[in-house]
Amino acid sequence: MNELVRTYGRGLTSVFVLLTAAWVLGLIVVPQLRMIERAFIVDQRGDEAALVATEIERAYARVFAIDQDLLRAADGAAAPPAPSPFTPSPTAPSPFAPSPSAGGSAGGSGDPGRIAGLEAEKAEARARIVELEAREAEIQAADRTTYALGNFTGMSRIHAWIFVSTLFYALCVTVLSFLACYPVAYAVATARRGERVALLMLGLVIPYAINELLRIFSWVMILEKQGILNGVLDALGLIDMAAGEGVRFVASNGAVFVVMVYAYILFMVFPIYNTIETLDRNQIEAARDLGASAWRIHWRVVLPHAKPGIAVGAVMTFMLSAGSIAAPEIVGRGLHPDWFSQVIYRRFFESSNWNQGSAYALVLLVACVVFVLVVMKLFRVGIRDIAK
Amino acid sequence: MTATTPSTGRDWSDTVLNAYLALFYAYLFLPLMLMVAAAFNASPTPSVTDWQGFTLDWFRRLPQDQRFVQGLVHSLIIAGGVIVIALPLGLSGALVLTRLQSRATTSLYTILVSPILTPGIVLGVTTMIFWRDSFGVEAGLFTAAVAQASFIASYCMLMFMARLQRQDRALEEAALDLGASPVLVFRRITMPFLMPTMITASFIAFLQSIENYNTTFFAIGSSWTLVTEIGSRMRFGLSPTVNAIGVLFVALTVVAAVVWVLARRRELARSGDG
Repeated sequence: MNELVRTYGRGLTSVFVLLTAAWVLGLIVVPQLRMIERAFIVDQRGDEAALVATEIERAYARVFAIDQDLLRAADGAAAPPAPSPFTPSPTAPSPFAPSPSAGGSAGGSGDPGRIAGLEAEKAEARARIVELEAREAEIQAADRTTYALGNFTGMSRIHAWIFVSTLFYALCVTVLSFLACYPVAYAVATARRGERVALLMLGLVIPYAINELLRIFSWVMILEKQGILNGVLDALGLIDMAAGEGVRFVASNGAVFVVMVYAYILFMVFPIYNTIETLDRNQIEAARDLGASAWRIHWRVVLPHAKPGIAVGAVMTFMLSAGSIAAPEIVGRGLHPDWFSQVIYRRFFESSNWNQGSAYALVLLVACVVFVLVVMKLFRVGIRDIAK
Repeated sequence: MTATTPSTGRDWSDTVLNAYLALFYAYLFLPLMLMVAAAFNASPTPSVTDWQGFTLDWFRRLPQDQRFVQGLVHSLIIAGGVIVIALPLGLSGALVLTRLQSRATTSLYTILVSPILTPGIVLGVTTMIFWRDSFGVEAGLFTAAVAQASFIASYCMLMFMARLQRQDRALEEAALDLGASPVLVFRRITMPFLMPTMITASFIAFLQSIENYNTTFFAIGSSWTLVTEIGSRMRFGLSPTVNAIGVLFVALTVVAAVVWVLARRRELARSGDG
């Protein structure tokens, strides 16, 4: 702090400190706390209010149905209706035609027993509405929110399963990306000729910089029922698309997985490349001269040096795939088993249960934090190595 | 004889590695090339196997699509807002962190980089909740910009920190010794030194903002950006107009990437000479 004040004076220093504080509090910490707070608020009112509201709805529907019945009964009770232009063809039995029994009991009151019954039922339904509406007002008035674990413990078995499988798939994406990327990162980092390096880098930067959605889109085009993969199968004579044959690759967890690997693989390449690039190549040469096999060179020289890069790549890839909403939404079209990010989205925007949505988002956040900590422990790297 | 054996071994492993590289790059580029090709196909569903003739129709339709155009405007507004918020925050954070000799530095650093390691949807959710619960601000362009800035500022900060670590402090010290005011030192020495990073950081912030989907999707409420609009179109089936946008994105990216790689090579060459 002293050095800051000494160099930039009190005025500028306080501006920097204030801005940093505003960032920490206003953009990071307080919003997080707000979400955490909501995650622990259980709104019992919410469930009950929703229940009462549906019951009121149902009661109104019942009254409406009774009114319809009453009208019909009154019509039936009246003298045979005068022929109207709307009367259907004589052969068709009109719903309004007097029933034999009603006609027999002579004009006036029709079916008094039935009408009275309906009236009674209607009065009862009306009374129930009044009662329910009073209850609703009461619920609205009472503040029944409490801090509890209900939003977490109330997670259904299906949601819990989605959560676990999302993490599992994200882990698979991470491992697969590492296996695919390590040789590439190594090759680019150890390439000798300048043009070759530039070309290889360009080949990585371009797909990396292209929008995530477009990368996903290009794969959906391939996997669609009318898509390119089926077109190729058709051309090979394996299926007949004209006859409506074709494999629907999209809308499965497998498809989401394939697309995610494609969408996030490059987040693994660059961090590993950056660390291998700093490795003194003489170390590799020395190991080779001393007779180490290729495996041994990688295992004992290159990999240990690349550890921080691998850690960064793993954290980024895992976080992006576990939290991705683009890939499952677009590939899945809501037809495949949900991804956890979609469950969170639905909590907020479809069932508008923000408290439970917050709880789910918090669960996802905690999972990612745990992953970061585990990676830091496994690779023995600090936070400063991770975020560079 | 003993000298040639390892070298043939290396040739062999080089061949394998090169073959793998070719495969990997094909994997990266083939889908994108198919996407580009389909933008010029007259077929109403994006395809290359069902070729119905060359057309530029899908490009012609773009400017007429009001939601795309409006989305682009929204994207630009948000990106402008993000730069305005994220750059000062990132710079302040970097200055405080590099000059603060305190045990709290690591904690502060952890907090300030945490948004990078947080899933995008969580950032969107927290911003949306915070602004509605605390200030009654409904999700929209503003919350989208704030949510994006929360993690883009971290990237800016890391870039500024990298630059500040290479700064020669003696220059500032000398200016202060010669009686310059701290504001003058900052304006005449620190700022010019940081200028290249300012430009790069603005550029990166702009790109990150325009491209962002996950965070924006949650934080933008009923409004939309170009990218969220593309996303919602895709959910209802594929259309070649999206391919056309894709082609424009790809073209821009290729140009930017070539410029970047050339600039980097020149920089490397210069540092190699020096």
